[in-house]
Parts: sequence; structure tokens; C-alpha cells
Amino acid sequence: MLLTLFSYTVGKLGLSGELAVFLLLLVSLIKGIFIIRDFMGLRGVSLIWRILMYGWLWTVISVIAITYSISL
Amino acid sequence: MTANSLQQAKLLPGDLAIWFFIFMELLVFAIAFIAYAVVRVQNLELFNHYQMTLNREIGAANTLILITSSYFVIRAINAIKTDDVKQSVFYLYAAFGGGAAFLCLKSMEYYDKFSHGIGLDSNTFYMFYLSLTMFHFLHVILGMVILLAVAIKAQRGAYSANNHIGMETAASYWHMVDLVWIILFPLVYIIR
Repeated sequence: MLLTLFSYTVGKLGLSGELAVFLLLLVSLIKGIFIIRDFMGLRGVSLIWRILMYGWLWTVISVIAITYSISL
Repeated sequence: MTANSLQQAKLLPGDLAIWFFIFMELLVFAIAFIAYAVVRVQNLELFNHYQMTLNREIGAANTLILITSSYFVIRAINAIKTDDVKQSVFYLYAAFGGGAAFLCLKSMEYYDKFSHGIGLDSNTFYMFYLSLTMFHFLHVILGMVILLAVAIKAQRGAYSANNHIGMETAASYWHMVDLVWIILFPLVYIIR
């Protein structure tokens, strides 16, 4: 919840730039990890599924980070 | 061999088939998110300008709603694991209610845009915004249908501590809907 409020505050203040992008993507990554590990219950499941799910998250976040850093 | 090397990995929650479906859906959304990010690089001013027309308050509220709704689903699963059917059903309906609240707020957002003549053909940013969020909107509807079906089945005594794979399957899908929004909201509404 706090992480969401942080993202909203950054948006409301209209903050931009490398640091804002980095922090917002980091927040999304952390929230995504919590959802995959705890909500979806993937903690301790077979490695292949953890690789697929976390791999999805890391790939999406990384590609977004790269495209945004190109545009800055 | 040690005890650790013999330890089995925990089973995926719910039916295995739903996980293949979940991953397929995540791949589709990943392509859409990456397409948005790449096209944005080529239309920077346009995206930065029109992003400011989006309602971040509704976006943030919807994020909190979906996270809470996912939490309710977890409470439902935990309840059925102790054979507390009544509580499990309560939390399933609460999660459904969260989904309904999300759809209401999203519809208000769409109404505001459509009433100002904004549509898929307005510009590239709005095309992405509407496509991405509407695609997610449809997944929320499907998730709610699944949750409702499971809630009704639970009320009829179909699930127990020893048998709740169906409920876990529904929960897994709902968490996927939440996971997608966790990326979509900052990507489309906030990051600039």
C-alpha cells in the first residue's frame, strides 16, 4: 500500500528524470516480487516456474528501464 | 543422499493448466508493455503531454483496490484450509466486490475520456492507454466471473481443507490480474 502511495505521489508531483524512473520501476519490481512469491504462492515451488515468473517480471522491468533511459 | 536433496519442491497452487494460461497471458501483456515503452521513445513529447491527462487518483485507488482484493482471496484460501467455509465464502465475495469497485472506477475514467471525444484513433498515446487498460479490464471481468463461480461452489460445500484446488486455481488467476496492473499503472500513468 505504501509503495503504491509512493508511486502516486511521484506522479502527482510530476517528477521525472532518471531517479524518478529508477525508483518507480524499483517499486514495481518489489511489488511484483511480493505478489509472485507471497500472493501467488510461488515460494518453494519448482525452480522452472520461479524462473519463468520472476524472469517475466525482471525482463519487463529491465526492457522498460532501458527504453526510458534511452529517452532521457 | 541427504534429506535436503530428497526434498520435493512445493506444488504450484491450483491446477497446472491455469499456470500455462497465466504465463501465456503474461507474455501477451509483456509484449504490449514493451511495445508501449518502445513507441514512447519515438513519440516522447506526445506521451509526456497526454499522460498528464490521465486520472492518477483513480489509477492509484484501483491499485489499492486490486491489492486488497488479492489479499481477500488469500484470506479465503487460508479459511478453507481450516474448513471455515463461511469465512472463505465471505472473503471470496469481498474479493469480487473489489473487482466490481475497480470496474466502476475504470468505467468512470473511460466515460470521462469518451465524453471528451477521446478514442482509440485520437493519437498513439490514447491508442495504447485504451488498448492496454481495456485488455486488462476484460481480464478483470473474467477473473470476477471465476471468483463468483468459485464463491457459489464454496457456498454449496464443494470445497474443504482437503479439496480446494479449484479455489486456488481461481486465486492464481486473480493474482495475475493484480500483477499485470502493478506494472501497467506506473508505466502508463506515472513514469515520464
